[in-house]
This record gives sequence, C-alpha cells and structure tokens, in this order.
Amino acid sequence: MGNKLGRRRQVVDEKYTRPQGLYNHKDVDQKKLRKLILESKLAPCFPGDEETACDREECPICFLYYPSLNRSRCCTKSICTECFLQMKVPNSTRPTQCPFCKTANYAVEYRGVKSKEEKGMEQIEEQRVIEAKIRMRQQELQDEEERMHKRLEVSSSNVNVAVADVEYNSNAVAESSMSAVEHDEIVSSLDSCATPMVRPPPATRANRDDEFDVDLEDIMVMEAIWLSIQENGRQRNSPFTDATSGHYVTDDRYASSPMGQQTGSSSSPSGGLASAIAALAERQQMSGESSVSSNNESTPSFNMPPGSRRFYNRLGRDMVSYSPTENLTEVPPDDAMAMARSHGQWSIDHGSQVAETATSYTNSVEVEDRGELSSMSQPNDIDESLQSATDPIVPESFEEQMMLAMAVSLAEARAMPSGHSASWQ
Amino acid sequence: MTSSSTSSRKNLSKIACNRLQKELTEWQASPPAGFNYKVSDNLQRWVIEVVGAPGTLYANETYRLQVDFPEHYPMEAPQVIFMNPAPMHPHIYSNGHICLDILYDSWSPAMTVSSVCISILSMLSSSTVKQRPEDNDRYVKNCRNGRSPKETRWWFHDDKV
Repeated sequence: MGNKLGRRRQVVDEKYTRPQGLYNHKDVDQKKLRKLILESKLAPCFPGDEETACDREECPICFLYYPSLNRSRCCTKSICTECFLQMKVPNSTRPTQCPFCKTANYAVEYRGVKSKEEKGMEQIEEQRVIEAKIRMRQQELQDEEERMHKRLEVSSSNVNVAVADVEYNSNAVAESSMSAVEHDEIVSSLDSCATPMVRPPPATRANRDDEFDVDLEDIMVMEAIWLSIQENGRQRNSPFTDATSGHYVTDDRYASSPMGQQTGSSSSPSGGLASAIAALAERQQMSGESSVSSNNESTPSFNMPPGSRRFYNRLGRDMVSYSPTENLTEVPPDDAMAMARSHGQWSIDHGSQVAETATSYTNSVEVEDRGELSSMSQPNDIDESLQSATDPIVPESFEEQMMLAMAVSLAEARAMPSGHSASWQ
Repeated sequence: MTSSSTSSRKNLSKIACNRLQKELTEWQASPPAGFNYKVSDNLQRWVIEVVGAPGTLYANETYRLQVDFPEHYPMEAPQVIFMNPAPMHPHIYSNGHICLDILYDSWSPAMTVSSVCISILSMLSSSTVKQRPEDNDRYVKNCRNGRSPKETRWWFHDDKV
C-alpha cells in the first residue's frame, strides 16, 4: 500500500509492530519484536491478504500476500514475520533449521520491498522453471508418441497377415478392419471388418464448403477444372503423398480421390470402397493394377462394380435391417460427398502424423478414445458431431455412403476427360 | 504427546484452513503427475489416488493415500497413510503407515501436500523389491489401538529408498 519501506529507519505504524493474530503466538517477546521491526530488521507485521495484488509477495508458509517479507540468510527465501516467529521453537535444544533448505541456525534479514533487480532475477528464474516444465512435457509427449508408433507397427504387421489370408490384395480391407479390433479377431472375422469403421471427427470446413448445396454435377465439373489446375499442387498440399492412402489426402477434391485410390494398396477405411473403386477402374479399362479379385456379375444399381458388390455383401452380413443397395439409393449424394470430404480433411488435419499409415493412425485414435472396443462397437461420439450427417449412421451405412460417393465421382470423372486425366497420375 | 490421532482431532485453525484451500486450488490447477485428488467436502482429510510410475515395480497399480491435517498445519505435519491395501514396500507397513522422514521429524512448513505426494511416489519408484518392512508384524500389532504414525518414534536408516 502506501508504506514505502526502505533500508533506513522509516515510520512503521505502531499496530504493525505486533503480531496480527495469524497464529496463537505463545512465547513471543513483544518488546523485542517491536524493536526489531522498528529497526527494519524484521518485516512489519502487515496483515496478510488472501488475494494477490501488484507488488505483493506471497509468504510460502501461510500463502498470504504481503507488501514485503523477510529473507532467509541461507537461501534468500521469503517468509513473513509471523510465520518466522513460529519457526523458532523456543525451548528446543536443537538449532532451528531453515524450513526451505534445512540449513542449521535459520536466520532472516529484512531488506524492505524487493528491488527491481531482485524481481527481475526472480522472473528470470520463474521463466526457466516454466521452460523446464515445457521441455519435460514435450519429452513426455514424445515418449508417448514413440510408444504409440511401436504399437502401430506391431498392429500393421498383424494386419498384413490378415490380408494374405483373405486373398484380398488391397490392404485397405485389412487395414481398415484394424481399427481397435483385437488383431487375432481380425484374422478370424474379416466379415465384420467394416464394422469398426473409424468415424472422422468433424473437420474444420475447408474453403469450399459453400458448395455443399450445389448440384452434384456442378461440383464435379468444378472439381475437374480445379483439379486440372491443381494437378501439381497436389503433391505439395498433401502430407500423405508418399503414404498409401491417396484417397484420404485428396478427398476434398473428390473426383481425384477415388482415382488415386485404385493404384492399389491404399489404406482405405473401407474394404468395400476399395474394391468398388478397383472394380470400377476395371470397367473403365484403366491401367490401374486393381488386384481385387472380382467376378463379373452384373450390377443393378449405380453401376456398382461386381467385385465390390460381392464383397459388399460379405460385409453386409453384419448389417441388420436393410440391404446394401437400398441404402445406397437412399443416400443423397451430397451427403456422401460431404462425408468423404470431411474424412479427407480430417486426415489432413492430422497431417503431422507420420505417413506410415493413415488408417492405422485413425485406428489408434479410436482405440485411445474408447479404451477398448469390440469389433461390433458402434462409434457414437464422433459420429454425432459429424456435421455432414444429420442422423447417427451405423458404420455400414457410412461405408456405403463412401462407396456411393466414390462411385458417383468415378462415374462423373469418367464422363469428364479433363478431370479424369488430372486425377489419374 | 500430540493430539493428532484421528479421534481427538481439532478443527483446522484459520491459517490452516486458508492454506489448505489455496493448496487445493493450486492442486486442481496443476495436479502432480500420477496423483488424483478424490473430491470431497472435507478439507481436513484428503484422499488422493496415486498411480505407480511407468517403468517401476508399481507401474499401473493404483493406491490411495489418506492425508489428515492437524489443527496447526502447516506448522505441524499432516498425517499421511496408505489406505488398505497398502503397496508392498520395505518402508510401508501393512496398516498403511509410511516410514518417511519428511512426514515426521523432517517435516517443514514450506512443504505442501503436493511435495509430500511427490516424495512418496519417489519412494515407491525407487523400490527394488516388493516386500514389507522386517518388523511389520510387530509394528502393526503395536498400532492396533489406532495409534497415529506420528506418535511412532521412527528411525530413518535407509537413505536409498
């Protein structure tokens, strides 16, 4: 407050020369205390404030705030006069230890309000402590990340075994199933691999969301044009270019994504999707080495590729009350596009993750979010927040939406040589 | 001796109350790693969960500490014991009493619940063997009347753990 306490004798209000009743002092020599305070050898007994204010120091014993405090001679730690009086045990044979550094013969001195230099030094020290804490935290995070990566590597290898078992060369199938399912389960129950689909969290909408309500065809046209412009930019923009998950990266340019997908071992969240795309590619007689084994059934709706349908039905075993095709027709294309898109953006948002496996990463997120997951567990939380889907969707239908999106965009792309060539690298 | 056993506990002094409230606020803002304060409206008795540090004998094991504060905290040390079941440790008795100097002779009012917790976790972490103190049975028998560990005359002989 208004009390300016300098080195020399200055006026100390008489009432601050005796304890303020912080403690029930028994053996305090009031006269001696008063003398010491008046001689500026001890800090005046100001009443401590509970709240901090500028230029106040906290006594580390009573946690109250004072205009000025005493310092220990040994380690210059602060202490208020009343706490100091408590330290001195009158009848003890042992010399009092400093409560901070345990040095014997604890003694304090009073230097008045902290000088600017002292405050500066303290700030520097605080800064160092903070920095050290940050470094510690970073180290922790790094360790955590390394542990996670080790886990992922382990799971990837397991998954590859599963792939081999099912003669599905597209890793996408297996890798997607990896999410949170116990690995041995994967091997035995690939049929359910679509179930633990990873739900993308709501992505921050990218620049072109306003197109969501536009006619799909318009979008596709614009997409194609945009793609042909951006063809080279793609490499720059996508953190996953090297990763196998081409379609994640470029999903927000929908037309391109499915095309990139078919080049093979991309890690898609949906086996059905991968095969759909691959089969479509076959139909288009593209040179993409689709390794999906598909037989040539005819496909009734949506040009759904034979292989994908077959696989789709396999996935469908777990589905409850609707047939895949029905569901497909119900899905509004815009919605599906939005899904695919947000998915892509989401991956990009997490672009800092090592490219190793886009899907594995999603999987691990899922695992961590839920702690434990059975293969049949239904993602709810992220699901709900998915902006593009108004109703909670079961994973299967999300899968279908993805497929639809891809199928539609493929069809569109096919009709549009420019977009096609742009996206097909 | 002291009147710090649970039965004769007096209410916290004003200063103790104030300090504990601030300690709690600070704890909640940045709890020491590995500890979890179990919310209660009893400021005088804290229950704190402690999780064994990764890479130690107690990794992923959870124990509970019960911290009782005397009227004249922090001038007087809090009473800190492990709730049942206490971890197997050469300095922790099966009744939860902890042989750790800062809880008794070496307590300093400059210490806080948080710093005590860290010391206890450090004691756990540095253990190389999961076993009870040699004199466990004798000691626990002596404490059957509900004696506080603060009334024990502790010998602190092992600086390593």
